Amino acid sequence: MNETVSLPFDVSPVPPPIPGVNRIAFSGRRADFRRLVIRGTALELVTVGFYRFWLATDMRRHLWSNTAVDGDAAEYTGTGKELLIGFLFALAILAPIYLAYFLVGLEAERIKAFASLPLGVFFFLFAQFAIYRARRYRLTRTVWRGVRFWMTGSGISYAWRAGLWVLFAIVTIGFAAPWAKAALERYKMRHTAYGDLQGRFEGTGWSLFKQTWWMWLLLWPSFLILIPVPFILAAIRATEWRWWTSGIRIGDVGFTCKLNDSALIGLYWKVIGWSVLLFTGLGAWFGVVFAIGYQSVSASVSEEQKFIMATQKLPVLFALGFGYILVALAVGVVIRIYLTRDVWQRVVESITVQNLAAADNVKAQGHLVSALGEGFADSLDIAGF
Amino acid sequence: MVLGAEHTAVFLDGRSNRKRNVTLRFAGGLDIAEEGTVVDSWPYDQVRRADSPPQTLRLRCATALPLARLEVSDAATQGAITAYCRSLDVGGASAGQTWRIVFWSLAAAASILLLAFFGIPFAADRLAPMLPLSIEQRIGGAVEKQAAFMFGGKTCNGAEGQAAFTKLVDKLKTAGGIDLPLEAHVVSSRVPNAYALPGGKVYLLDGLLKKADKPDEIAGVLAHELGHVQHRDSLRKIIQTGGTSFLIGLLFGDVTGGSAVLFVGRSLFDASYSRDQERAADAFAVDVMRKLGRSPKPFGDLLVRVTGSDADKSLTLLSSHPMSEDRLALMSKDTSAREGPELLSAAEWKALKSICSSLAKGEPGTAGFKIKW
Repeated sequence: MNETVSLPFDVSPVPPPIPGVNRIAFSGRRADFRRLVIRGTALELVTVGFYRFWLATDMRRHLWSNTAVDGDAAEYTGTGKELLIGFLFALAILAPIYLAYFLVGLEAERIKAFASLPLGVFFFLFAQFAIYRARRYRLTRTVWRGVRFWMTGSGISYAWRAGLWVLFAIVTIGFAAPWAKAALERYKMRHTAYGDLQGRFEGTGWSLFKQTWWMWLLLWPSFLILIPVPFILAAIRATEWRWWTSGIRIGDVGFTCKLNDSALIGLYWKVIGWSVLLFTGLGAWFGVVFAIGYQSVSASVSEEQKFIMATQKLPVLFALGFGYILVALAVGVVIRIYLTRDVWQRVVESITVQNLAAADNVKAQGHLVSALGEGFADSLDIAGF
Repeated sequence: MVLGAEHTAVFLDGRSNRKRNVTLRFAGGLDIAEEGTVVDSWPYDQVRRADSPPQTLRLRCATALPLARLEVSDAATQGAITAYCRSLDVGGASAGQTWRIVFWSLAAAASILLLAFFGIPFAADRLAPMLPLSIEQRIGGAVEKQAAFMFGGKTCNGAEGQAAFTKLVDKLKTAGGIDLPLEAHVVSSRVPNAYALPGGKVYLLDGLLKKADKPDEIAGVLAHELGHVQHRDSLRKIIQTGGTSFLIGLLFGDVTGGSAVLFVGRSLFDASYSRDQERAADAFAVDVMRKLGRSPKPFGDLLVRVTGSDADKSLTLLSSHPMSEDRLALMSKDTSAREGPELLSAAEWKALKSICSSLAKGEPGTAGFKIKW
């Protein structure tokens, strides 16, 4: 499988232009993105996390403005400030909800058994609502040739659909998942537009099912030996990208994605390799700190108590905590570089656009929406990048 | 202006996505001309840079339509524009903006921490007495199961021991003037500990009873737990824990690994509130023992016996309790008269000590390392 890891995107011969077919080009330099993410992550550390809004914005600006369709690069017009305000709004709305959640939880204790279920369902639905609204925010900040994308539809209506479809997928032990994905994507794309060009989604659950069912069947037993898991997951993901991209229509503009089944495998393994390295380092650091802390307890108490006392020493705690945070942030950097930027590059470069002429003379339409949805998503820890 | 050197650009007017090939003229402002007609004119000081790939200069205008764009790919024209439009990067990302973000983030962090440190305990103190007992009892029911799981063991009910236990608790209750419902049990467990749960539930673990030499030691422990009940400390602890997790969660949002930071931060705060509550409960115990005419010192002795000498420990920020020897010192300080009658007769004390022996050898609890009384 190794020969598939080195991907040919920068050495691929330029195919002869076919009329009506356009490639998507990505011009972002990896070093620029890496610098952006490392700097942003360091600032995240300094600002106890508040810089995340600006980091997310900078990442999107980099990716959008380096992605060109027919030679014209897209533009991301959102700002970190908007995300911060969205987060604060979300907080104002969520704070009383959390309080109510706490009180309802107390009340529910009496009924026992299924007490936590409705609340879990509520938060799941709320998360779907947030996902929809966050997508809407990002879309209205996406501009190509001076015209923005926009979205209608209702987050609440989407949340109900998502809830019912996921329930259906669970009842069918996952077999309905492709149809759930297709239906939800249809809803999203049906309410998506670029200027006065209406979007839609033509992918079907059946075609996704046909392509992926055997991979899922292979996936579950492979968890026993672990090694094949990243290979299969990467193949599933690549297939889903292909299916998703090829199903999108904006007006009469269509897309084809030629992403290889093996295109993402190398990236997955790089993330795994870095994570193993970082966590090994963290383990070694913990060991050293513990050993020093343990030595400094000059006690005649039991081993167990010595251990506990070592962990309670303030310098030990800070050293452990600091090491942990650094590694967590480093893993974040690795994920953003490989799973956000590199996946983005490989996917967009594998896409060709058909009949782009249908997107000439599009009239601007649609209004900006607030970042409230992103704020909710952020508070629920489900924020996309 | 060098005549003849035509400055070309692509103009997107913000109304449609039609790419209009235009020429730029540097007159009173940046004039955009299409086929010889000026279609728009942008004041120099309102022209801003928009995101674009490195080789293209993309412009917007603060006073034009929000999405109107000029795209310039020719280097000479780009140079001319940067020469005329001096405010290209106004309002954009700059070092100053980054410092502002850093400053306000740290200010927000400081105010949240101050709120957690001063605001939450204050709110808990004021809120706890206002909440109806029924709520506290409901919480108690939930916590009870967790506690039973953690410590293992069953309720002991040797008849004579139970009678002695009830007698002791009643005496303490009267002396302490407890006006809340109270429910005390002895539970079989090797762990030498005692705890009070929300809703006035007090548990004495048999392991502690085994380590005690005289009734006054156990009386002190129980008086301490009754102090927690009277002060409604469990409820306050719940309000505090909920409040701090909310505030700290708010602060750290989704920084990866935020939950670990959250855990450590919360432990620090919880421990600090907890030490204050323990001191108050100790004071309550001293007071009750004095009212009964007994010395509180045996309670301190038992504490030190169970936790070991503090000589080589240091009080850390994470300790939920004050140091045992400091507590012993507090109890020993009281040298007032101790002429009150024995709280339990020798026979009753013996019965209490063996209250759990009627149980079949129950599952022994794990050796607890966190002393919880």
